[in-house]
Amino acid sequence: MLKVKNLSKKYEKILAVNKVSFEIDSGEIGVLIGPNGAGKSTTIKSIAGLLRFDGEILIDGKPNKSVEAKRIFGYVPESPALYEYLTVWDHLEFMARAYKLEAWEEAAEALLTRFEMDDKKKKIGKELSKGMQQKVSICCALLIKPHVVMFDEPMIGLDPKAIKELKEMFVELKNSGCAILISTHILDSITDIWDKVLIMNKGEIVFNNTRDALAASGESLEHIFFSKTGEEGEAQ
Amino acid sequence: MRSLLFIIRRTLKNIVKGVFKKPILLIGYLFIAFFIVSMVFASFAMPTGLIRSGSPDLYVGIITMVFVLMYYSTFKLGIDKGSTYFRMADVNFAFPAPVKPNHILLYGFIKQMGGTLFFLFIAICQIPNLKNNFELKPYGTWLILFSVIIYALSYPLISMFLYSWATKKTGRKKLLKRIIDILSLVAAALTLLDLAKTRNFIETLGNVFGSPAIKYFPVIGWTSSIATASLNGFTTEFWVGAVGMLVLIVGASIILYRMNLDYYEDVLEGAEFFEEAVKAKREGRNLMFNLKVKKGVKQKLSGTGPSAIFFKHLLEIRKTALLLFFDRSSITVIVSALAFRLIMPHDAQELPLSLVLYFSLYMLLLINMQGGLSSEMDKHYIFLIPASPHEKLFFATLSGHTKNFFDGSLLFILSGILFKAPINTIVSCIITYVLFGAVYLYSDVVNQKLFGRIHSKGLMIFIKAMINILIVVPGAIGAGIVLAITESEFFMICVLGGWSFVLAVTLFVFAAGIFSNIETVS
Repeated sequence: MLKVKNLSKKYEKILAVNKVSFEIDSGEIGVLIGPNGAGKSTTIKSIAGLLRFDGEILIDGKPNKSVEAKRIFGYVPESPALYEYLTVWDHLEFMARAYKLEAWEEAAEALLTRFEMDDKKKKIGKELSKGMQQKVSICCALLIKPHVVMFDEPMIGLDPKAIKELKEMFVELKNSGCAILISTHILDSITDIWDKVLIMNKGEIVFNNTRDALAASGESLEHIFFSKTGEEGEAQ
Repeated sequence: MRSLLFIIRRTLKNIVKGVFKKPILLIGYLFIAFFIVSMVFASFAMPTGLIRSGSPDLYVGIITMVFVLMYYSTFKLGIDKGSTYFRMADVNFAFPAPVKPNHILLYGFIKQMGGTLFFLFIAICQIPNLKNNFELKPYGTWLILFSVIIYALSYPLISMFLYSWATKKTGRKKLLKRIIDILSLVAAALTLLDLAKTRNFIETLGNVFGSPAIKYFPVIGWTSSIATASLNGFTTEFWVGAVGMLVLIVGASIILYRMNLDYYEDVLEGAEFFEEAVKAKREGRNLMFNLKVKKGVKQKLSGTGPSAIFFKHLLEIRKTALLLFFDRSSITVIVSALAFRLIMPHDAQELPLSLVLYFSLYMLLLINMQGGLSSEMDKHYIFLIPASPHEKLFFATLSGHTKNFFDGSLLFILSGILFKAPINTIVSCIITYVLFGAVYLYSDVVNQKLFGRIHSKGLMIFIKAMINILIVVPGAIGAGIVLAITESEFFMICVLGGWSFVLAVTLFVFAAGIFSNIETVS
């Protein structure tokens, strides 16, 4: 379970995120959407433990910057930068070592096969295309069998087969009890899978609701997005 | 910690494996290794003070000035972006991992030690030159290398502290920048005042940068005192500097290691910046990187067909240059060439501009600017323009030649006035400078056609530099012979210029096919 309580982040004079609170329960898929400059990236980086912030972020009840929380937290960043001279397999081995995983090889092989990367195991990071780097990034995040996993624009650069696999994986992770947070601009890419939507605008959560509640109101996600953010054409 | 060491270990292993997979790379690296070993051997074994025994004051002045410039640029950048040992891959993989931040910092230090090898290499290349001109102590080489290691270890640490302190409160960044600017203005004013008094650049260099106030100035003075002990021996300044820097590095490391660390945010911007800088270097536009783009520049694009590329480059230059074509590369070439000529003894009065020309050509080779060409080759537009490859190459490089003409004119007219050279020598120097620029540029393109974008940019730059030096050698020999026969600097430069013209045209013909299809540059 991911719990964000009164998260605020100020860059010098600019308040990028203002008292944001939300929860993603275990077995739930939350999507974080919002126009450019809404504060999504700052929120994501704060959850990933990369920024100093005011407020509280808990991963399964533990502070997000603690080693215990990090052990069960997976993160797929927006820019999939890999180590230039580590092979695909080396990246997975690093994850296994850093997260103290045991008997991880079979799971790693399965993930690579699923993303059609099994024949690229010996390729080094700098030889991979952006899309392939993204796939490695996803495999690394999932190898640790996270309780909470966060994806920042995960579909960018992926081929249709990989997008399909990833969507299926979201559902499998959800069914296994994992809390998932996906930040994206492309509403269509997550239409079928989300359980909770969080719309951010100007550093605040302006809409936080579940799929069932939205369905009951009869409004579409796209319509809600535009009405809450005043944006046209931002989301596809 | 073991998982982090795994990254370093495996990276090194994969680099070595990659080199053995491609024999041409292996040959290249063996060549570099041979070059480094030769330089190391020369640095340690060659006799000192071979050509002359320069004054200790001048030595102290040069070394201190170099450290002042190095620390100034790194601190200024550090305050802005936060210096970092880390790459974005570390941000994505190591930072979110369940590893203590202290261990990650230690890992960063170990990586930085690898980075010091680069600085050591640069220093080793300069030592033979220093030994030729100054009488260093037998242990002098070790001390110079020690000071370089101290610099390479201390600047990221200090930058991290500065950034961390500056970003905690609004206004601190501005305050720190202002302090650094004021200090540099004071140094510049003192230099100018002293120069007005002495009218001798060498004396001024020693007076200002060798003054006791600077010798004991924390960090900069301390580091330079370590290096200058290579000539002055183990004086009090050396011990103050060495102990000061060691206490600073060890102390700062212990504080950082023991602190409840939350430094990821401080290094994040630095890591992103570093990633961009690496990309810019790979694309051959390192001197254009991080330039402020002027707003409100009004200039319509003109030219049709491939000449539109040239006018687009002119517009880009106007938006990034300080004035007309005057930019960072102009400052680098002009200032360093003039300083070199001023520092050199006046035993070449009959050849007033040769030293300036040689040093500026050397700097031009080091800068290795490709002008607008490299950025064009990364995009598809130029390949689609309906024109012949020759036309496209000519117009894509014309802005580079124009800029070289601008820099060359500025440098040689200024030097001509300063060193009282005849007009025909000034003009021949300008033309030779432009032609050499063309040789470097087109040989770059030919190299790219031959080798593609291989493995390591460092190796590529080394190969290019070696090829450039080799093709220039016949012209230099010819110029030497002509000088011996005619004793005329003008004729000597004309021979050099003539040879570079032949080279430039030949290389242009070979290079033109680069725009036939995008595959030739990938």
